[in-house]
Amino acid sequence: MSAARRRKEWQKDQEHRVQLPNQPGGRTLDSTPGLQVLTAPAVLTLTLVALSFLPRIQSNLALAISIWGAAIVLLAWLLMLYLKLRHEHASRTFQTMLRPQHYVQALVQLAVFAYWGLHWRPVYEFGTLLAAQLIFAYVFDMLLAWSRRETYTLGFGPFPIIFSINLFLWFRDDWFYLQFLMVGIGFLGKEFVRWKREGRTVHIFNPSAFSLGLFSLVLIATGTTDLTWGQEIASTLTLAPMIYLYLFLLGLVVMYFFSITLVSGAAAMVLFGLSALYTSLTGVPYFLDSEIPAAVFLGLHLLVTDPSTSPRSRAGKLVFGGLYGLGVFGLYSLLGAYGAPTFYDKLLAVPLLNLSVRGIDALIPVIRRSRAIKLLRLDWAPLGLNPVHMAIWIIFFGSMTAMGKTDGMHPGDSLPFWEQACAEDRQTACNRLIQLEASYCGDNSAWACNELGGHYRQGEIVSSDANLALGYFSRACELRFQPACVNLLDPGNFSRINPRALDLRLLLREGGQNLMEMTEPELYERACVQHDWDFACDKIMSAS
Amino acid sequence: MIRKTSVPLTALGLVSAVWIALSFAGSLPQPSLIPDHTVISNPGEAPRFLADAWQLPDDPLLGFVEITAGPFLMGSDATIDPMAFDIERWSSTNAQVVLELPTYYIGRFEVTVAQIRSFVQATGYPIDGQALSGAPEHPASFISWPDALAYSRWLDKILRISADTPEALSTLLEGGGQVTLPTEAEWEKAARGTDGRIYPWGSEPRPDRATYRARGTTAVGSHQCPECPFGLSDMAGNVWEWTRSPYQPYPYDPTDDSENLENESLWVMRGGSFTDPERFVRGANRGGGDPGARRAFIGFRIAISPSE
Repeated sequence: MSAARRRKEWQKDQEHRVQLPNQPGGRTLDSTPGLQVLTAPAVLTLTLVALSFLPRIQSNLALAISIWGAAIVLLAWLLMLYLKLRHEHASRTFQTMLRPQHYVQALVQLAVFAYWGLHWRPVYEFGTLLAAQLIFAYVFDMLLAWSRRETYTLGFGPFPIIFSINLFLWFRDDWFYLQFLMVGIGFLGKEFVRWKREGRTVHIFNPSAFSLGLFSLVLIATGTTDLTWGQEIASTLTLAPMIYLYLFLLGLVVMYFFSITLVSGAAAMVLFGLSALYTSLTGVPYFLDSEIPAAVFLGLHLLVTDPSTSPRSRAGKLVFGGLYGLGVFGLYSLLGAYGAPTFYDKLLAVPLLNLSVRGIDALIPVIRRSRAIKLLRLDWAPLGLNPVHMAIWIIFFGSMTAMGKTDGMHPGDSLPFWEQACAEDRQTACNRLIQLEASYCGDNSAWACNELGGHYRQGEIVSSDANLALGYFSRACELRFQPACVNLLDPGNFSRINPRALDLRLLLREGGQNLMEMTEPELYERACVQHDWDFACDKIMSAS
Repeated sequence: MIRKTSVPLTALGLVSAVWIALSFAGSLPQPSLIPDHTVISNPGEAPRFLADAWQLPDDPLLGFVEITAGPFLMGSDATIDPMAFDIERWSSTNAQVVLELPTYYIGRFEVTVAQIRSFVQATGYPIDGQALSGAPEHPASFISWPDALAYSRWLDKILRISADTPEALSTLLEGGGQVTLPTEAEWEKAARGTDGRIYPWGSEPRPDRATYRARGTTAVGSHQCPECPFGLSDMAGNVWEWTRSPYQPYPYDPTDDSENLENESLWVMRGGSFTDPERFVRGANRGGGDPGARRAFIGFRIAISPSE
């Protein structure tokens, strides 16, 4: 063999090595070369088409067209690939590799969907569309791989990507083709947006976080968030009782297997710390109704913790997690100031952090050499063990829970708290009051709609907007709230009354389910004792 | 080999792709629910509407009819009208009362589907699709109480600013008139006239004078009614008509409309509808409607009332 040929063979071998996964922990099974493997994406695509005839999808023509459109794209791609490979007499193979970081993560994500869906039915109703995305993702991933190399690695890889995307953002049925675009971009980002790190060519961004971040930016810039279920997704996790404890326990599983404790723990601690600092300085909570929003808590366990796009060193993970906490904290204010929905905070932070990984990697040796590390004995060996990190995290979370900072009632849940804070002109309190009332109005609390209409009519705590006021009064009036109807007739005044029992069932739910089963005396008791609602206390007094 | 420029270029390409897709999503042409309607041209008896005047009637006051100031008899006396409901009785001592009203104006016809289409086309108001789906000259239905008020507000505004508004109408509005829903007293006077008749045409039911006990609405003004006071059409049957009065027991007193705010919200509807029997289409009958109700048998008519 000539030297040139040997060099060529060696180069080919090297390319192959880079392209093939070489992470430990997986089991492999190879197929024989040929083009028969292309029947797999063909069958899966036809399954996708078959899925479109299910009643859930047939209920909306745009949704069915989205799926047919996705299938047509995949079939066209498959046909072109087949013709090209046949022309070149090339063959394609696949190997199976079942990696625990994929299937364990997927199982944990599935557990989140299962529990969340128990308390918010749209999650279960979304199951068919989740399956459609999974099929699409597998076919897309196969075609992308076989378009660029010989072997496709079959495993559970697409599961955590799809689940992760869907834990944070879904497009509404009428715009569902954008969901497929989001999935496709996640895989394209993984394939093409790469850099060299530690001598290997690896993808820069966590695939799901990449597409989530990208779409978040575009949705914010175009003001099209209402095409998605993003806002609902961010606010309905707390409908599931004890959701923080549930996520914490699931997080421990991931922490145990993949040593992500430093990332999640640091992020949570930074957020708790900054939140507490803000409250002590201003007298009002930083986040509206929690110390860490439940969706952020979910994100710091399952979105930011992809090992291949985060630092590998312990110190690097610690910095990475801390920066995620800082990033979310800062973005929350930034988005709020820009007038954008704040739930994007956790989504935008991850791609930025992925980009900072090489910087963090470079920074760590400098930190390690610093005197402070030695003085504080942070280089003490046991501090480097994951079980020790987990123990610290458990103690920290336990303390926060004992202090009522997780699943317990939060002062920000209480409307009278924000009314008072707004009256005292506390930082952001009036904006929060408007935000909270808008949320309850969206849930059909006529009282909240009427109050909002009043704010926009009077223009004292928000810019006056007569049309918006009329809109809110109309909504409240249609919900049979008499003062709102009177307000529609009389633009010069603002009529209001205290919340009715029906409103209290929504207003006192503290992020959980509506209190439809609670008796009226219990409602007034709760309104008086837990929420300091004076009228409710008066009502109790007059009844006794 | 990865070139340095490939990362930002690929990212830029992806951002552009998503941007274009979303822009496309936001700019897709919306399906129009509103066919291009011009003029209902039934020569002869049928009313004509003006395509260039928001589909309002072809009339010097665009369909508004003057109801001159003066007294009328309100309420029902069961000894005279055995079909009267208790809620129509004025008080325990008086079954009926003579009430004085200032001059006001009321629509000759119920508001039509075509007029609601004009409103939605002009404003993008989010109305129930069924309100737009009927025949253009039929009364608009599937209209909630706030929808009816929103239409009135829009018409009030547009009539004030438009150069095409007839001068007499402009003068009315400049003089303190306001386009709104009629009060139930205004409605009842317009329906019964000043002599306390039971139906707009007299004291006996007449199926040839109004649409009731029927399977659906008819075009507004399709019944001749020379006996009806003020030349108004469909003051009995076709669709129930919203008023701006809250549903509360008599004696009627417009000054207490903003009271009793704790009560469940119901607003007075008048006139009965195509689905109803004779008893419900009497001029004094009072219906109470949930303000959010959108039904095939509920519509409205507008008035120009003196500002309160």
